Amino acid sequence: MRHGRWRFLLGALVPALVLHVVFVLSPYAQAFYLSLTDWTGVAGEAHFVGAGNYARLGGDSLFLDAVRNNAVMLVVVPVATIALGLGLASLLRTRRGSAGYQIVYFFPQLLSLVVIAVLWGFVYNPNTGLLNSGLRAVGLGGLTKSWLADPAFALAAVMAVLIWSSVGFYVVLFRAAIDAIPAELYEAALIDGAGSWTTFRRITVPLVRESVQVAFVYLGIAALDGFAVVQVMTVGPGGPDGATEVIGLSLYRNAFTYGKFGYASAMGVALFFATLTLAVLALRAGRNDRLELA
Amino acid sequence: MNLESQVRPYPTRRSLLRTAATAAIAAPLLSACVTGGKKDDGEAVAGGEKTADNPLGVKADAPLEVVVFKGGYGDEYAVKAEAQYTAKYPQAKVDHKGLQKVGEAIQPRFVAGNPPDVVDNTGAGRLDIATLVAANQVSDLAALLDAPAFDEPGRKVRDTLLPGVVEDGTFAGTTVALNFTYTVWGLWYSKPFFAEKGWAYPQTWADMLALCATIKKTGVAPWTYQGKYPEYINDPLLSMAAKTGGLDLIKAVDNLQPNAWKQDGLVQAATAFAELAGQGYIMSGSEALSHTEAQAAWCQRKAAFIPSGSWLESEQKGVAPAGFDMVMGAVPSLTASDKQPFAAVQAASSESFLVPAKAKNPAGGQEYLRILFSKASAKAFAEANSTLPAVAGATDGLTLSSGLGSVRDAVTAAGSGTFTYRFRTWYAPLAKAVDDATGELVNKRISPADWSTRIQKAADALAKDSTVQKYTR
Amino acid sequence: MTLLRSRPAPVLAPAPPAATNRKNPLPQLAMLCWAVVTSLPLLWAVVSSVKSDDEILNEPWSLPSTPRFDNWARAWTGASIGRYFLNSLIVVGGALLLTMFLGALVAYALARYEFRGNRFLYYTFVAAMFFPVFLALVPLFFVVQRLGLLGTYPGLILVYAAYAVPFTVFFLHSFFRTLPTELAEAAFLDGCSHAAVFFRVMLPLARPGLVAVGIFNFLGLWNQYLLPLVLNPDPDRYVLAQGLAALSVSQGYRSDWGGLFAGLTIAMLPVLVAYVAFQRHIRAGMTAGAVK
Repeated sequence: MRHGRWRFLLGALVPALVLHVVFVLSPYAQAFYLSLTDWTGVAGEAHFVGAGNYARLGGDSLFLDAVRNNAVMLVVVPVATIALGLGLASLLRTRRGSAGYQIVYFFPQLLSLVVIAVLWGFVYNPNTGLLNSGLRAVGLGGLTKSWLADPAFALAAVMAVLIWSSVGFYVVLFRAAIDAIPAELYEAALIDGAGSWTTFRRITVPLVRESVQVAFVYLGIAALDGFAVVQVMTVGPGGPDGATEVIGLSLYRNAFTYGKFGYASAMGVALFFATLTLAVLALRAGRNDRLELA
Repeated sequence: MNLESQVRPYPTRRSLLRTAATAAIAAPLLSACVTGGKKDDGEAVAGGEKTADNPLGVKADAPLEVVVFKGGYGDEYAVKAEAQYTAKYPQAKVDHKGLQKVGEAIQPRFVAGNPPDVVDNTGAGRLDIATLVAANQVSDLAALLDAPAFDEPGRKVRDTLLPGVVEDGTFAGTTVALNFTYTVWGLWYSKPFFAEKGWAYPQTWADMLALCATIKKTGVAPWTYQGKYPEYINDPLLSMAAKTGGLDLIKAVDNLQPNAWKQDGLVQAATAFAELAGQGYIMSGSEALSHTEAQAAWCQRKAAFIPSGSWLESEQKGVAPAGFDMVMGAVPSLTASDKQPFAAVQAASSESFLVPAKAKNPAGGQEYLRILFSKASAKAFAEANSTLPAVAGATDGLTLSSGLGSVRDAVTAAGSGTFTYRFRTWYAPLAKAVDDATGELVNKRISPADWSTRIQKAADALAKDSTVQKYTR
Repeated sequence: MTLLRSRPAPVLAPAPPAATNRKNPLPQLAMLCWAVVTSLPLLWAVVSSVKSDDEILNEPWSLPSTPRFDNWARAWTGASIGRYFLNSLIVVGGALLLTMFLGALVAYALARYEFRGNRFLYYTFVAAMFFPVFLALVPLFFVVQRLGLLGTYPGLILVYAAYAVPFTVFFLHSFFRTLPTELAEAAFLDGCSHAAVFFRVMLPLARPGLVAVGIFNFLGLWNQYLLPLVLNPDPDRYVLAQGLAALSVSQGYRSDWGGLFAGLTIAMLPVLVAYVAFQRHIRAGMTAGAVK
């Protein structure tokens, strides 16, 4: 029996582990090493340059644009998505047709970000797009913009797409969390004469806090990415003039266009630590204020 | 699908990504092979006797292997040249391979030391030619260039090519590749549309601005451009600067000389385009349009001019309405003291053929290229693909579409006055900095002075960067 | 990470009766608004997919004068959407099978067997969920290249699976933990081998979890863009997302908006239809612990 146990365990674990080590762990490990070299891929061999690549990051204005944009996205995208998701989820709690709404809300989550980006590229088209022609049709022609080509709006336009595409998922998630709240709490609140806003603030929000924190981690990771939407949809891409540059795009361009693999890896490492910090902070916050429901 | 992008002289955007990626890996393997010390050329067949009819000394019964990129142009033209080769050397067995991923197929064969005799190193995933040169993997084509042309015995092959073709294939003084197609950049417009409105194509920038004023009054936007990719509007700007400042200006830019981007020609050209934008002569919304959207708007006569390379006509097939008859004109001259005439055009060749250094039948390979670059072969290619081949006069006597005809006329008018910038292929990050700056310039967000300062800063940083390999011309 | 693995919430408690707040129309309006915002661009794409280029460019809000289904035919064959679709099916199908098989085995082994290094292995797998793929991208490219798998179906399938296994393990691990032990014990007493217990007893028991994680993996893999973008350079083997991106941004593509919208629609519809068919499972899956 013992023998069979080990044989089974080996058979169960080893293939997946090999795959994991070869295609996941080893590339991550190599990236750390590469980030300390000047490897261009063409030079044949890599020279160790220490922290040189990291020092260059600080002087790379496009990369700094990317960091700034990702930082803005990191704040705006999770907050807006969670606010919308939570609001809609709690509206859905008590209303007719909620199942149908939930299905529709979830649609964008099902689509590839590429499909979404191509589609929104057309929506934002300044002359023939859905948005501007819609604005003109309802007499708001003055509000039309060259959304993706105007540095003041381009990043907002990108964030709107990211928010649009993820709200549905969090509606469903929060809805499930809300449904897990004992109905008696709401009934008691109703008897106490609490309005729906008070109920939302006093009962719903505190009791789905845990889900909100999870959502922050996931949305944060998504906001640190943004690559697909930016690469497909924006001017340049990453433009105009770096207005929508994101770290992923900088990394991709440096690696696969410029052949600066070492330098690109340094960007990856920076992104790694940003993600790690985000996760740790969010989880810390979670541990401190975890609310236990008896 | 997406074939046009593979025939561009300088690969842009996505095609470049793939190319760079593959070239990058190919390189270390190739150099590893070279340092591996397997340098015997003993396997190569001994050449045949050189005669007037056989100037390259082809051994008549030696087999020939040709690997061709089968992209937007297909490989029919290469097969035709092979048929001619067999007609001349009936004993030779010709092995033909038409591939989409040439680089991937031939890279291991370079490493193993048994490459084919002719390679069309083109398309996504082609090998980086500079790397091949550095690894001594390609042979000098001087003998071929000095041989008589296949169907014009009185002229050397070298003299049958369009200007710049030999230079495009020359690395460190040795010509190792011949490019088969030729691309020209300029401003495009619909000839019937202009005739109908009584507009004449302007030869000077002052005339251009005057015409733009006239055009604007009719409710048509004078210009549009492919705003999502600002490199398109860079081309006429840099062309104009090159005409003003001549070859010296281009060399200073390509060689990363101090203050190259502050040369008068460049600042003046930037000022000219700032004015074009400032006067509102660029169709509103252009800045956010992709190339397809901008070009479609232009085909709908919403704008009069659009900048593009000579591929535009085939790209707009099916979009341009019947009778649109687009033609390309040279970029107007900026000043009366321009160093190059109005007719000068930016041009470059692509679709790069080479003979590997370790080919078993190098004479046969060169002979094959002599046949391929003959006038008859080039003519057949032009006819089939509506694309200008790199052989001079290849389109003579053909009934050309309006666009291709205008491209040919532009090349003829330019004579030796063609020019090209190399910095885009040499230093991609600088190209990006220039594109971004020009995008800002034509959207009135920076001044011409800012434009040149900004780019100069990027160029200086690049010049100082010891990790980037430098080239000079 | 402990937070992420906290107890699963009960599945969809019945909603309280829809009686409250009848008088206030604002909430209904808000819900309707978001439904419109969500579905309008999608509907627009579907409608545009049967319009002529002229109509698309000049009357973006209008309905087509006559529906042009030839756009679809053109996208399917002319623009190779059909081929991309098939490529996606092959790659995602292969990767999904591999992921589910390996992921279920690992999750089960780690959840139901105590041995030294168990937790270490678990975290080795699960931690990868939180690493940005971008960091691995460059070396991954060279790993795949050196293995000669660049631009091949097996290469993509292996890499897809490798990057989907961590989530699968994470999800199914908690699932296998909650399964009752009695049946397995009974099976062992009957003389079943470890493998037989897994395949005959535990796997069928885990079906709801497998379905849920299978759907998530399918969506994730079907919509994958970054990995194929880097690892799959051959236009003949493009997956759908890559093909669509190429169609919309590549210079060489002959302007064909009807065809592009048809391509978008072809890419969207199967997933949407599958979702409507399976949405109960998806919601149940999410609630059962996908993101909890």
